[in-house]
Amino acid sequence: MKQIVSILDGNTFLVSDRRGDVEPSPDTPTGLFSFDTRFLSTWLLTLDGERLHALSVDEDRSFQSRFFLVPGEPTHYLDAKVSVIRSRAIGGGFTEELTVLNHTREEVEFTVRLDVGADFADLFEIKDAAIRKQGRTTATVGPDELRLTYRRDAFRRETVVTTSSPGDVDLAGITFRVRIGPHDEWTTRLHVSTVIYGSRGEDIRATLPLGGSRSPADIEAEQNELIAKAPKLGCDCQPLAGAYRRSLNDLAALRYESIALGVRLMAAGLPWFMTLFGRDSIITSLQVVPFLPELITPTILLLAGLQGNRLDDFRDEEPGKILHELRYGETAGFEEQPHSPYYGSADSTPLFVILLDEYERWTGDADLVRHLEAPTRAALAWIDTYGDLLGTGYLWFQTRNPDTGLENQCWKDSWDGISYRDGRLPGFPRATCELQGYAYDAKIRGARMARLFWNDPAYADRLEREAAELKIRFNRDFWIPEREYYALALDPEGRQVDALTSNIGHLLWSGIVDESRAGRVVEHLLGPRLFSGWGIRTLADDQGRYNPIGYHVGTVWPFDNSLIAWGLWRYGFRKEAGQICETMMAASQFFDGRLPEVFAGYERALTEYPVKYPTACSPQAWSAGTPLLLLRVMLGLEPQGEHLIIDPAVPDGMGRVELLDIPGRWGRVDALGRSRGPHDSDRGH
Amino acid sequence: MSEAIERFFDSLPSRAPAVLRSTVAGTIQIDLATGDGTTHWLVRLQPGEAEVTRARGPADAIWHSSEDLFDRLVTGRAQAIAAMLRNESTFGGNVVLFLAFRRFFPSPPGARDPRDIVRAQAGRPR
Repeated sequence: MKQIVSILDGNTFLVSDRRGDVEPSPDTPTGLFSFDTRFLSTWLLTLDGERLHALSVDEDRSFQSRFFLVPGEPTHYLDAKVSVIRSRAIGGGFTEELTVLNHTREEVEFTVRLDVGADFADLFEIKDAAIRKQGRTTATVGPDELRLTYRRDAFRRETVVTTSSPGDVDLAGITFRVRIGPHDEWTTRLHVSTVIYGSRGEDIRATLPLGGSRSPADIEAEQNELIAKAPKLGCDCQPLAGAYRRSLNDLAALRYESIALGVRLMAAGLPWFMTLFGRDSIITSLQVVPFLPELITPTILLLAGLQGNRLDDFRDEEPGKILHELRYGETAGFEEQPHSPYYGSADSTPLFVILLDEYERWTGDADLVRHLEAPTRAALAWIDTYGDLLGTGYLWFQTRNPDTGLENQCWKDSWDGISYRDGRLPGFPRATCELQGYAYDAKIRGARMARLFWNDPAYADRLEREAAELKIRFNRDFWIPEREYYALALDPEGRQVDALTSNIGHLLWSGIVDESRAGRVVEHLLGPRLFSGWGIRTLADDQGRYNPIGYHVGTVWPFDNSLIAWGLWRYGFRKEAGQICETMMAASQFFDGRLPEVFAGYERALTEYPVKYPTACSPQAWSAGTPLLLLRVMLGLEPQGEHLIIDPAVPDGMGRVELLDIPGRWGRVDALGRSRGPHDSDRGH
Repeated sequence: MSEAIERFFDSLPSRAPAVLRSTVAGTIQIDLATGDGTTHWLVRLQPGEAEVTRARGPADAIWHSSEDLFDRLVTGRAQAIAAMLRNESTFGGNVVLFLAFRRFFPSPPGARDPRDIVRAQAGRPR
C-alpha cells in the first residue's frame, strides 16, 4: 500500500505521498482540497530532472509536515551531495517552504522544477472514478504567479500559486535555476490560495461572519486554547494517555468553518468525509459532551437550521428530518448529487433528539432546549409519520432516489451492509433494529424535555406511553427465540433479517433490551463469533457475508465499540465494558494513538496486531471520540440532577485513571478510578 | 415581475405562523435582477410573523438572485441551497435568516410522500 501523508485544517486538507508529491489521480483523493473541490491535483518536485526520495518525514502536527529528501531512488549506499527540505502547512490555503542544501565544497547550479496542476475535481467525481468536467480550466501566468481558474456558468474556483524567490512560471509549473555556494542553501516560499468566488467577484468567505483564512500560528493557538479547556487526564496506562491526547488534537483539527453559519463544525473523516454528516456529528458530539461541550452547540444549531421542511424525492427530504450529509462542491450545486443537503438517513433524526437531551443533562443549557422546541418536536413527529413508512410502529427506510441516493440509510450504509444470516439481501423498505432503539430513547428523552422545559406534561406522558409500547412491540417482533438475539432488521414482509451483528450492542445503549435478555445479548457480543480479541465485529464470523475486510460486514469499528461499551455499562456489565475499553486502547497503540475509522476483523491470535483496513479514513471524528467515551465508561460518569455521579470500574491492570476538571452544570469536578485486579497488586500506589 | 413571485410574497404573512416556528428574527432584503433592472423586497421575520414591503434595507442579510431563479424557487423547481452552491444566487449577512426563509419554498412539483410510495408497493392502505 502506498503511504500517504495528510495535513488538514478543517475541510481544507492536503494528501501527498511520502516525498511530498501529488501526482494526478482520477480515483484517489490525493491533492489539495477545500470545500469538496480539488484545488491541486499535481504538485511534483524534481531536482535536475530527477525525482526525490524521502529520508524522513516529520508529521507531528495535524496541520504541518516536513519532508527530508535526496535525489534518486534509495540504494544501500547513499552519497548525497544535495538534500531538500519541504516544510509545509495548511492555513490560509497552503504554504510550502522549499530549501535546497548544497553539501559540497563547490558552488553548484541546480534546476528546481515544480509541476503544478489543478483538475478542480469534485470529491464525488473522484469517488466514482469519473472526472467529467463540464466547465473549463484556464491557466494564467503572471510575475512569480500561476493562476488556474475553473468556470462553469457562475461557478468559479481558482488556485493561485505564488513564489517568494523569482522563478520562470509557465502554464504547467515553475522552474528555478539557482546557483548555491559551497555548504550554502537556497529557499523559496510557495503559497497556494484556494478561492471560491461569489457572484460579485470576491471570495464567498469574505462576505460571511467568520470568513477569511488563518495562519498556521493562528491554528495552533486556537487548537491549544480548545485543548486547554478539556479535562486533564492523569493515568498509568500509556496507551490511554496517548490516545486521549491524540484524540483531542484530531477533534480540534477536524473542525471546519461552515459556509452556512460561520461557526466551526465537526467534519467526519479524512479524506472522504470532510464535511457535516448528521449521524457522525451527533455521535461524535455524544462522545465528547463530558469533555468539550462547547463543540456541540454549533452542530445542534446547524442541524436544526437545515432540518427538512418539504418533500423532495431527489434529496430524500421530508418535514422534520435531520440531514444526512451536506456538501459544498460542484456536483451538489449542479444537482448531479443530492447533498445540498441530502437527507438519506433514518437515524440522524432520533439521534438529534437524544443529543439535545444529553447535552442539557451535562451542561444545564435549558435555554437551548427551549429555543429548539419546535425543531425537536418536528423531529419526534417525523419518527411516527414519515419515518414509519409501513405504518407498523417502526422506523423504516427506502430511498426515493435510486440513482444517487443511499440504499441503506443506517450507519451500515454500504450496499451489502444489511443481510440475512445466509447472506441473502432483504427487499425494501428495511427496519434495522438499532433505529428502533434510537426511536425509543428519543421518545424517553423527548418526554423529559417536554416535562421539564416545554411545560407540556401531556405530551411527555404520550411519548413515554409510546416508548413503552415500542419496547414491548420490539421485544416481540425482533427477538429470535431459537438464536437468542435480536434480528438485524425486519424485511418488508415483517420477517426477521436474522444475521448476528454488532447492532444488538446499540440496543443496550438505547435501553430497549428487556432486562431478562441482556445477559444473552452480552454473551453474543463478547463471544467468539462477534468478538475478535481487538473489538466487536460488525458481523459475526460465521455469517454468510462475513469478510474480515468487508467495510460493514466483519470489520471492527471503534465508534461502534464505544457505543456498545456505553450500553454494557448501562445494563451493569462493567467487566465486559472494561474489556472493550482495554482492547480498544491496545489496538490504538498500533495506530500511534489514532484509532482509524475501521480496522480488519481478523482473530487477534492470528495477527497479534490489528490489521489495517485498506481505505480507512484517518483521522475520523467518531474514532477520535472513542477514547473519550471509553474514559467516561470506565469512570462511570453520569449526570444526575445538578451533580455528576462518579462510579469507576477500571479494567484490571490499567492502574490509576484520573480525570481532572470535568466541565458541566456542577462547575468542574475531578474523577479518580483505580483498577483492583490481581495484576494491580504489585503496583506501589 | 412574475405572478408566482407576487403570490409568494403575498402569502408570507399568513403562512408565517406555520413556517417560522423557531426563535429567529431579523430583516432580509431580496434583490431580484431582471433584464432591465432590479426589484427589491424587504421581509421582516419574527417568530410566527413575516412582514413584506417592496423596499430596500436596512437589512441583516441580502440575497441576490435573478428573477428567473426566484420564480423557480417559489414554484419548487429549484432548491435554494444548491443554487447558492453553484453561485447562481448569493447571500451576505446573517445566514440563519436564509435558513429560516428557505422554509417558505414549496416542494418540487410531483414530490411524493414516501409512505404513499412504500405502502402502494406493499399493497397496504394509508
